[in-house]
Amino acid sequence: MAVARSMRRTSPISLVLAAVLAFGFIIFVLSPSSSSVSASASATSSQQRQDDAAEHPLSPPTKPFLKDQRLRSDGLRAAPPVVHYNLNNLTSSNNALANRERILILTPLARFYPEYWENLMQLSYPHELISLGFIAPKTKDGNAAVSALERAIQATQTGPVDNRFASISILRQDFEPPLHSQDEKVRHQLSSQKERRESMSRARNSLLFTTIGPSTSWVLWLDGDIVETPASLIQDLTSHDQPVIVPNCYQRYYDTKAKKWDVRPYDYNSWIDSDQAQNLGAQIGPDEILLEGYAELPTYRTLMAYLANLNSLDPRRMIELDGVGGTALMVKADVHRDGAMFPAFPFYHLVETEGFAKMAKRLGYTVAGLPDYFVYHYNE
Amino acid sequence: MNRHYASPKGHSAFPFPIASNRSFQPRPQPAFRRRRQLFHRFLLLGGISFLLFLLIFPSWRAAILPAISLGLVNHSEELHHLQTVRYFDLSEVQGTEKGWERGERVLMLTPLRDASSHLPMFFSHLRNLTYPHNLIDLAFLVSDSRDDTMEMLSRMLQEVQDDPDPKMNFGEISVIQKDFGQKVQQDVESRHGFEAQASRRKLMAQARNWLLSATLRPTHSWVYWRDADVETAPTTIIEDLMRHNKDVTVPNVWRPLPDWLGGEQPYDLNSWQESETALALADSLDEDAVIVEGYAEYATWRPHLAYLRDPYGDPDMEMELDGIGGVSILAKARVFRSGVHFPAFSFEKHAETEGFGKMARRMNFSVVGLPHYTIWHLYEPSLDDLRHMEEMDREREAREEEERQRQYQEQEKGHDDAKSGRSSGSDAGSSEKSG
Repeated sequence: MAVARSMRRTSPISLVLAAVLAFGFIIFVLSPSSSSVSASASATSSQQRQDDAAEHPLSPPTKPFLKDQRLRSDGLRAAPPVVHYNLNNLTSSNNALANRERILILTPLARFYPEYWENLMQLSYPHELISLGFIAPKTKDGNAAVSALERAIQATQTGPVDNRFASISILRQDFEPPLHSQDEKVRHQLSSQKERRESMSRARNSLLFTTIGPSTSWVLWLDGDIVETPASLIQDLTSHDQPVIVPNCYQRYYDTKAKKWDVRPYDYNSWIDSDQAQNLGAQIGPDEILLEGYAELPTYRTLMAYLANLNSLDPRRMIELDGVGGTALMVKADVHRDGAMFPAFPFYHLVETEGFAKMAKRLGYTVAGLPDYFVYHYNE
Repeated sequence: MNRHYASPKGHSAFPFPIASNRSFQPRPQPAFRRRRQLFHRFLLLGGISFLLFLLIFPSWRAAILPAISLGLVNHSEELHHLQTVRYFDLSEVQGTEKGWERGERVLMLTPLRDASSHLPMFFSHLRNLTYPHNLIDLAFLVSDSRDDTMEMLSRMLQEVQDDPDPKMNFGEISVIQKDFGQKVQQDVESRHGFEAQASRRKLMAQARNWLLSATLRPTHSWVYWRDADVETAPTTIIEDLMRHNKDVTVPNVWRPLPDWLGGEQPYDLNSWQESETALALADSLDEDAVIVEGYAEYATWRPHLAYLRDPYGDPDMEMELDGIGGVSILAKARVFRSGVHFPAFSFEKHAETEGFGKMARRMNFSVVGLPHYTIWHLYEPSLDDLRHMEEMDREREAREEEERQRQYQEQEKGHDDAKSGRSSGSDAGSSEKSG
């Protein structure tokens, strides 16, 4: 009585077979080889991630590697492979996306802001072409930042395949950062600036030269407190095809007088040089540096922060600069490979990102800025 | 059943209305059974629409497929064996004097150009290195080569990695190919001509920076630059230089010469200490000028590492340097990590390795040379030398010809003498025997 009449005459075996067939059919129909567009896109990204992976853990950190290692016939672990990299074929062009150029986003991390990570996640450039690099000091703050970062990474790298980044390197600094409070006021005091920025230069260089590897086309420097950028940041900055290009870094704040949210300039390190600054440089000793944004040093340089045309924005307007800030900075990998780094010593009286701009110029590159293209800094 | 009830009491065959006799009635079906067909239909409909939905919205698939496929289909799961996150503590790779005991990794860098003739010699040096091979990562830059350097290098590297003895295998091996469009000829004459020096040094610096930046990893404690054309060097050179525990260490570089040129000669004049004269000279030059050592055009009066060599001196002796040569440099990786590189522009009036020394000093790193610890560069005769040697060869041949002629004549003469001599000798022998 338990078996329905229609099934009485069928044996259980044929039922099982039918179930297996149906199951196989479902799998066949749904398997990723089906020609559906988005499924194949996801599969391509998976496949590309697979193909990009290095064979051995001893490989550039911009690539993921296979966890399983090849064994030799005698059971010993196989020697690392001989890997060829043809850097003649490496491009950094105005159409980065079409050429599938790889981007390395580098971030010196002092504090971890969830907004920073969210902003990173919403970048529309294919994530399988993006590698991330972080460097954090070995201090209590650094530990906290790194553990927060690791949680965010864990969630992303095990989440949907298309959101995962190609590879992520977390570095801990190999030198003592200068001892001082990270308090906003103290941090910006002129006397502590030289020391702080020289230490930052070392951190940036350590991060850069250990992670750039042989397949990076562009390096995007993005500070850990940049919490808002356009989703097409990478496409926009690379489309200008400039060796070094910097957007304008602003900050959102609540104007208590006008009772509304407004924006104000934040990064003053992007500037056009002035004769006054040159003269000032000639007067001071070789180990002194010139800094921007301090009344003690009237440089009369033209600051990009004030060149934004807020009434009629033209995000593609480009100007030539002499110094750049590092809050967000897009650099062709070739510029770094030629040796342009962040001087941790006074280089033409400049250090860190401003010194970098000078060095890039000494190597024959031009430095550009986008006064009407904004990224936003966290408001402390 | 009815009868059993009916007969004992003698009632009629149908004492109760049929409707009241429940046992004859089919039991009322439970609601579920009654609506089973309906349920089946609903399920079928639901299943079909579910499948249709899956077909229409593929984004659902990723979420649902792994659950229903029981791990039989693993299209996204295959990424699980990819390691994407790496963690490095750079304070563990500072470089110490006994790196081989602490398992410190060394990056060995060699720029190559039209160097296939030097490769067999270079690889024999490589195999003989006593520093644990698995701790050495090799990286080569092949640029603007017109010979078969690339093929030969690949083949020889593969041989080394395929060596059945695991102690012969090296760590990561990267071969970087990048042409810088060097128009300067690589032959000895033009390579050392004064005018070509500045631009040549800048291009060399660029090449070195590309090689370093592409291959330096967060795991490296030391970086060892070694040219392919070193003829003789101690097999323990990495350990020997490392023991000094200085940020940058270079040995003395000489080259052997034919006897008629004096037997030996200092080769690398780029390792020097700064002098007042040179500093004054530097101030007088314009921003882009590059001072190169070893040319009469720039008289710098600097003390050179090469000239201080004493063949019987203490090989551990150190000398502070400001500029260094690039034939064989051992540096802590942290020097390069902090940003010191080979300036491809005029840095304090110097470029490439000399500028590297200057920049390292500028960042307060220690730079030393070992005047009595010598390695030997290959001797490549210059055009003058070649001409001279040709002349010498011709002279020698002429002399030999003369000698041969004389010998021949002597032989001719001696032949006759010998004939008579042999006959007399045999006579003597027989006489001896008989005697």
